[in-house]
Amino acid sequence: MGAAAAEPAGPALDLLHIVRINEEIKRVVAVAFRINIMALNAIFLAKRAGSAARGFGVLSNELRNFSGQLRETMQSLDSLIHAAVGEVSSLLLESRYAGILSRVEVAADRGRVRSRVSAALAAREARLGAHRTRLAGLRRELRSTIDDAAQLVDLGGVLAKSAKIEAAYGAAFAGPLAQVSGEFDGIVREIHDSLGALQKSGFLRTRS
Amino acid sequence: MKTTQIIHEDGDHQWLAIVRDPARPAHLIDTNEYLVTHGGQGMLLDPGGVEIFPAVFSAVAARFDPAAIGEVFASHQDPDVISSLALWLEFNPALRCHVSWMWSAFIPHFGGQPSNFNALPDEGATLSLAGLPLQAVPAHYLHSSGNFNLYDRQARILYSGDIGAALLPADAQGLYVEDFASHIRHAEGFHRRWMGSTEAKRSWCERVAALDIDLLCPQHGAIYRGEDVHRFIDWFDGLQIGVLRG
Repeated sequence: MGAAAAEPAGPALDLLHIVRINEEIKRVVAVAFRINIMALNAIFLAKRAGSAARGFGVLSNELRNFSGQLRETMQSLDSLIHAAVGEVSSLLLESRYAGILSRVEVAADRGRVRSRVSAALAAREARLGAHRTRLAGLRRELRSTIDDAAQLVDLGGVLAKSAKIEAAYGAAFAGPLAQVSGEFDGIVREIHDSLGALQKSGFLRTRS
Repeated sequence: MKTTQIIHEDGDHQWLAIVRDPARPAHLIDTNEYLVTHGGQGMLLDPGGVEIFPAVFSAVAARFDPAAIGEVFASHQDPDVISSLALWLEFNPALRCHVSWMWSAFIPHFGGQPSNFNALPDEGATLSLAGLPLQAVPAHYLHSSGNFNLYDRQARILYSGDIGAALLPADAQGLYVEDFASHIRHAEGFHRRWMGSTEAKRSWCERVAALDIDLLCPQHGAIYRGEDVHRFIDWFDGLQIGVLRG
């Protein structure tokens, strides 16, 4: 039997979490694109249904705006994730080099060399500290942007439920309108679940 | 920590061999590094991989001020040759790395700015270490397609990189080749597989046979001296290379 792979920790674990966050972001972006297309179709359907579906048409338009806002928020998250990958990669590299430098042995009579090694290590440590500070700032921004996205999705949920109610007044078009509004509701729930998973990410729970 | 041994000394002109690290992890190939010093300046030849930096640095620092190493010669682009570059730059950010033009855009992935690199033309070049001429001798395709040896005419030493390299067993770790016939068995497989061009090999043998060489110093294994230098050149000239098995 092969040896068990070592569990990643520190920056390596952060990188693993970031990859998962990125996958979730990609999922939400794809779903937001679907809402946009569905909302466009729903607007046309409401126009064909006439005055009975006027309220449904207004809500479809709002859902289209919602998908645009959601996409923008996801783009902000994407930029933050990119920056976080850069910081974590630098942390991994600096940590590796700092570890290697700390293994240097200098004879006691080589005081000048010893002080140069200490200075090089101190410079590495200072860079490590700067990367850690920037990463902590990015974590905070990511948490806050995901919370904003969650609030936006709550609003999307309200719109989808209102569209369900409006569909009931769609007279001859009530059936197709109900089907569309049901799909809206399902998709918004899907996004809600994805954002819930993001909020629970180990990378965002770390308080450093 | 690796051992440092003086293999040539003439006033302040020295060649130091940095060899054999008992603490080296077994999964890393053993390497020899060489430091040429002259006029208080140092040129490190194939400074080694990043993982063995502490062993090489500690050994060098015991004899020479690492900040006075202003030049690095990289025979080719392999990680065991030059992946420690970023750490050497910590001690001299103005350090110059001499390497084949072919690798001058690849090696910066290990670290360094454009000003840190001197791209060597295919025909070679004469480098200067505080006035000491050192000749970058073409050894292309042996084994890298952009490959150089370094010749010190004054010391009569050729640094031959992977040419002459041997993968020595634990019980044959001497600095010099003592018995050519038994030593060369440890070099044969390496040369057959790693050296890819018979034409390039012939041309190298002719070029190097014309040089006045007392010591032929490879990156792996033991140093050839005296008669063994020409024994090696003749052996290599007759060896079938570029094959999986002979």
